[in-house]
This record gives sequence, structure tokens and C-alpha cells, in this order.
Amino acid sequence: MRLLVLSVLCVALMVVDARFETLKPLRSQMGLVLTPFYWLADLPVRTWQRATEQLSSSTSLVAENEKLKAEALLMQRRLQKLAMLTEQNVRLRELLNSAALVDDKVIVSELIGLDPNPFTHRILIDKGERDGVFLGQPVLDASGLMGQVVEVMPYAARVLLLTDVTHSIPVQVNRNGLRAIAVGTGSPDYLELRHVAETADIKEGDLLVSSGLGQRFPSGYPVAQVTEVVRGSGQPFLVVRAIPTAMLNRSRYLLLVFSDSRTPEERATAAAQAQESADREAAEAITEPAAPASETQTPAAAPAPDVTAPAGEGRP
Amino acid sequence: MISGRLNNGWVIWLSLLLALLLSVAPMPESFGLARPLWLGMFIAYWAITLPHRGGMGAAFFFGLMLDVLSGTLLGQNGLPLILSTFLVLSLQQRLRMFPLLQQSLVLMVILGLGQLVQLWLNTLTGNRPPTLLFLVPVPVSALLWPWVFIALQWARRRFNVY
Repeated sequence: MRLLVLSVLCVALMVVDARFETLKPLRSQMGLVLTPFYWLADLPVRTWQRATEQLSSSTSLVAENEKLKAEALLMQRRLQKLAMLTEQNVRLRELLNSAALVDDKVIVSELIGLDPNPFTHRILIDKGERDGVFLGQPVLDASGLMGQVVEVMPYAARVLLLTDVTHSIPVQVNRNGLRAIAVGTGSPDYLELRHVAETADIKEGDLLVSSGLGQRFPSGYPVAQVTEVVRGSGQPFLVVRAIPTAMLNRSRYLLLVFSDSRTPEERATAAAQAQESADREAAEAITEPAAPASETQTPAAAPAPDVTAPAGEGRP
Repeated sequence: MISGRLNNGWVIWLSLLLALLLSVAPMPESFGLARPLWLGMFIAYWAITLPHRGGMGAAFFFGLMLDVLSGTLLGQNGLPLILSTFLVLSLQQRLRMFPLLQQSLVLMVILGLGQLVQLWLNTLTGNRPPTLLFLVPVPVSALLWPWVFIALQWARRRFNVY
């Protein structure tokens, strides 16, 4: 008897949860209560990391430091070029009278949990509704797109990764603008491109960037790199496999993107202001480079001010 | 439901919370497929030793908690748990007399049935696992059952839960 009642209740809950929105508040409240669970479950891993950090020898720290410095130098060089290119791009776009490209606002969040189900590729991050996270928000790591937010709780959010079988993203080949859809395969290692014609100009090593056509992901972020193109396989379309550029199962710090939906004029003025403030900050940073370096110790704190600073009021 | 004149009932709740914690704890990628069905095992233990305390209610409740934690539809983990708890409860008279190995064999079948229901629900929601690997947790849980049983037995004796 009790079996019957509870089973019917379960089925009813499932149907309601799948079809209607009524259970969402309940869910998010339960999520609020249960978020410490993930924190607790993750505790041993974090303690271990902290311990290894504490115990790692100074030589390895020095080596890492040198490597990071070299990396920073390379990035700086690219950034110098980028500033010039951005300015040029904005000017050209003004000439063409098209929408200005603005840096999207991003916030940094930390991974706090993985989905226990091995057949889905979802992760939990430590930013939620209270930080302005919204459904469908794109998530990046340092090297590319990772996925999108599919569930928002007050202090946490669930992110569906690109490689999940239920996920697809519109992309284009960076070399020639060829559009395609990259579909997750359920394997963490590669994506597949759907419906690419036999004669399409695509080859190994091509970089796929998000095309922004789905109105969900901002355009121009790297998604994947083509590794395998099988022609003449007897199927109507090409079989194209690509490795995600984001380190989907290694990144611990992720970026949440707020792309804006403002008019071109607003964007242009905001971009100008942001550029100005960024320049000013850069100038300040050059005059007193020692001060911030000594303050920021954790890797989490370091990138945060840099990425949030130039955004201004870029919230949609 | 676990209620009424239950001596030291908090031990049961604590153990079930521990099971919930274990079922979302991070595991190495290669073992992710073999994550034991902690909640199923823990609830089965309490259903076998204290059947008059029910267990269906707890199965329902913790199933919902697991659903929220793993982001599935509410009830998707609850239904298999309820079904397997019901089976354990109806076989309880026999199960409690079995030696541990035989118990784990029977539990393997019961938990396997639960996983099949889970598969069915996953298929309905469009997340069909591509292979039969979703059954791997079942033998793993069966192998772990004697140890779980002994540990919980110790806890039950130690805190005098009845």
C-alpha cells in the first residue's frame, strides 16, 4: 500500500518537475540546504591540495613561478598587440556602422562538485542566483568554452558541459567561417560535427569558434580543434571529430560570461568608457607594479580583479 | 517512516546522511562508473534489521535529496530506491537469516532491479546510457555489502539502536 502511494507520488513529482515550473522554488530551496554537502564532500580533495601546496618543495615552486612568469610575459605581448587590434577593429566597425564588439563581463567561479552520474557531464560551481547567474549562461575556462548553466540554486549552479550527449553548440571554422553544429558525444575527449557536407572545406587542425547564432553563446570564443575528418565513409555527411580546447575535466576555476543585449550606441559609449578606465588602470598598474603582486597570493584572487575590472556596467 | 519510540534514531539518520554524502563524493574518473549504491545499501541494512521502523519513507526522502544533489528530476532516484526497499522489506524474514554472502547475492538482484528501473526512467528523460556499464555499481555494491553490514552492525550495537 505504502509502495503504491509513494511510487505514484514519485511519478507525479517527476511529471510535474519535467513539465511545469511549480517545483522550481522548492528545488532551489532544497539545493540551498544541500549545497554544504558538496562543500563537505569536496573537503578531502581541497585539504589534500592545500597540503601538497604547503609541502611542495621550494624548487618546484620556483620552477612553477618561472613558468608562470614566462607565460605572463607571452600573454602581455599578445595583449599589447590585442589592444591595437581591438581599437582598429572598433574603428572599422564604426566605419561599417555595425555593432561594436565589447568585452563581455565575466566573473570567476570555482568548481565545487562533479555529477555523480558518470553518463552525464555536469559540474557544480560556487556561484548562484545571488551572484547574478542565470539559466543558459555561458561558462568558459582559460582556454575555451566549457558549457552552459542549466540549473541555478541560490549559492550554486549546475553547468552542462559541451561533451554531454544532450548538448550541442553552433560553431564556425575560424579559417573560413564555415558553420556547423558541434554535438557532445558523451565521451569527455571529443565533439562531433553534424551535417557537414562531403565537399565542405574543413581539415584537421582547424579551430572551431562559437558562432553566436544560437543566441546563447557569445561569438568568437574557441570551442574545439578538429582532429579527424573522415571522407567517403559511405555516409551522407562527413564524420568530423574535434577536441574541446577547454580543459573540461581539469579546470578548477571557471569564468561566467555576461554577454550584453544593449543597443550598439550604448555599447559604443560603454566600450569607450571601459577602454578609458582600463587604460587608466593599466597606467596605474605600471607605476606601482609591486603593490598588487604582494597582496594577491592565491591563484583565485589573482585573475579576478583583472577580468571584472574592464567590464563596467556590462550586466544585461 | 523512522519515528515513534525509537532508541537512538539519530544514528540511522546520521548513517543515511553519510550514505548521501558518499554518493556525491568526488571519485577518481576511472572509478566513476563503479560508484557503489551507498544509499540503497544503507537503507537496505536498516530495513533488514529494523523492519518495524519502516524505511519506505526514508527511501523516498533520501531519494529526493539525491535527486536535488545530482540535478535529476525529483523522484528519479526515489522510485528505484522505494522499489528496492519494498523488495527488501518483503523478503526481510528470509534475508535476516541468510549468511552474509547469500544476502549480498539477493541484494545484487534487488539493487539490479532498481538500476533497471533507473535505466527506464533515464531513457524516458532522454539520457539513455549507451552501454550496459550502468549495471557496474550493482556487483560492486554486492561485494561491499558484507563490510557495510558489519560496520553498520557495529554502529547499531555500539549505540544500542532498536
